[in-house]
Amino acid sequence: MAQLTKNDLIKNWLLGYSSETAYNYERLQGLGNTNAFMPIIRALYPKEKQAEELKKYLIFFNTEPSWMGTVVHGITAAMEEQRANGEDVSADDIISVRSALMGPLAGIGDVVSQSICYPILAGICISLALAGNFAGPILFEIVYKVLMLTLGYNMYMLGYTKGKGAIVDLLQTGLLNKILDAVSIVGLMVIGSMAVGNVKLDLSFLEWVFPNALGEIKFNVQKDVLDTLLPGLMPLAAVLGVWGLLRKKAKPLTIILVIFAVAFALVAIQALMGAYK
Amino acid sequence: MVFKAILVALIATCSTWWFSHTVTRTWLYPIWSGFLVALVMGEPLRGMQIAAAINLPYIGFITAGGSMPGNAMFAGPVGTALALVAGLDYNTASVVGVILGSVAVFAWNAYMTINATWVHMADKFLEEGDLTKVRLCNYVPSFFVSLILNGLPAFLIVMNGETFGNWLQSFPQWIMDGFALAGGLLPALGIGMLLNFLGKKKLIPFFFVGFALSQFVGLTTMEVTLVGALVALIIYYFQNDPEKVGD
Repeated sequence: MAQLTKNDLIKNWLLGYSSETAYNYERLQGLGNTNAFMPIIRALYPKEKQAEELKKYLIFFNTEPSWMGTVVHGITAAMEEQRANGEDVSADDIISVRSALMGPLAGIGDVVSQSICYPILAGICISLALAGNFAGPILFEIVYKVLMLTLGYNMYMLGYTKGKGAIVDLLQTGLLNKILDAVSIVGLMVIGSMAVGNVKLDLSFLEWVFPNALGEIKFNVQKDVLDTLLPGLMPLAAVLGVWGLLRKKAKPLTIILVIFAVAFALVAIQALMGAYK
Repeated sequence: MVFKAILVALIATCSTWWFSHTVTRTWLYPIWSGFLVALVMGEPLRGMQIAAAINLPYIGFITAGGSMPGNAMFAGPVGTALALVAGLDYNTASVVGVILGSVAVFAWNAYMTINATWVHMADKFLEEGDLTKVRLCNYVPSFFVSLILNGLPAFLIVMNGETFGNWLQSFPQWIMDGFALAGGLLPALGIGMLLNFLGKKKLIPFFFVGFALSQFVGLTTMEVTLVGALVALIIYYFQNDPEKVGD
């Protein structure tokens, strides 16, 4: 009976961190996963079957590979072990389980890593670094990696030990979607908070001075209109504007160009108001 | 200088060529990749502060499915090195980072496109049963793609840093103002991408809750996270098993 050792599993988990070494638009992490599953396939199958068994990994695949998505690889390793021992697990079963899980776990993993942990850590560490404290970058590196590897390892092992059972639970009870919703709520609140103070759009250059009998009256669009309506309105509008463009399937590159166009339009208005005379 | 420029070029290469995320995952972010450059350049303190300033517009940085709001992996190391060589102040460095990152999106797109070639190569080797060559396809060719797309420009920019810096500083004030304004708006792209990525209709109000807590109540992002975790937990429990809540 073919059995995976702890060593095989750890190799598989660690090689998963090279999923994006040849990252590409066509199959994203497919080649990286083929590389990551070599130790598993080599341990389980005779030499002449190895290449054939690896083909199921050299297909389109994309998940969050470092923090949470490792659970998919753990589950896969368990399924490969069952398959090698003659249980009723087909190559298509493995492919369909992986395809079913990659999306939701990309969701959960990206929220946890990119919309919760990164902005919080970066926010704190950038302030430290700007103040000249070396703890800034060093804390960033250490905390990020400790969280990533601890979660990544435990998710992988959870996937392996629970195996196929884990998937049935996750998919049938809709648990995965509930977890995704819960994590998304935290993520959305974090990015809502990030919009404050990080996105900067200040229109206080739109100021007119009207002379009158008592001296002069200043009318400032930012201070007298926007800030009294709702503080932080313009940064919020900028985020919602970008979101609107994304919903219309605009590419990030297009939006970068739009942002530059808006920025220079504002500069042009300042120029018209005499800022560069 | 040549030696330093080569090291910076290697850091810039590996910030995109992720040989293992156990090492390179944090190299996506200027605060770390720029700090590595600062160490290499022998100016840890000033370099660290520049790297942090360059990271600021990328505070809402996300790569999902290979698209991203500006190439922070290029902006971080190259921007930091350039600012150190040319003696730029933090604000200018941050603006230069925005310019570099925006232009280098093309390098990222080219990288993601060219790398498909190695997958086809791997198809062939796997058909032939040559597993070692399949593994090499994963690691080797993309290094050279990144070296050419990121390392080489980084090397040239650092070697010609003073010229490049003088050229940048000869820009009229209105151009620098325009880039600074764009730098202030750029986080909106990352945050917008996250919002689009997370934004199931029924969950969108939570974005505004987070905004309101920081804008009106003045909570820090860390505090909002804690509140968010509690809210998520409560909703999760109620949604999961309404009858059992309270047991």
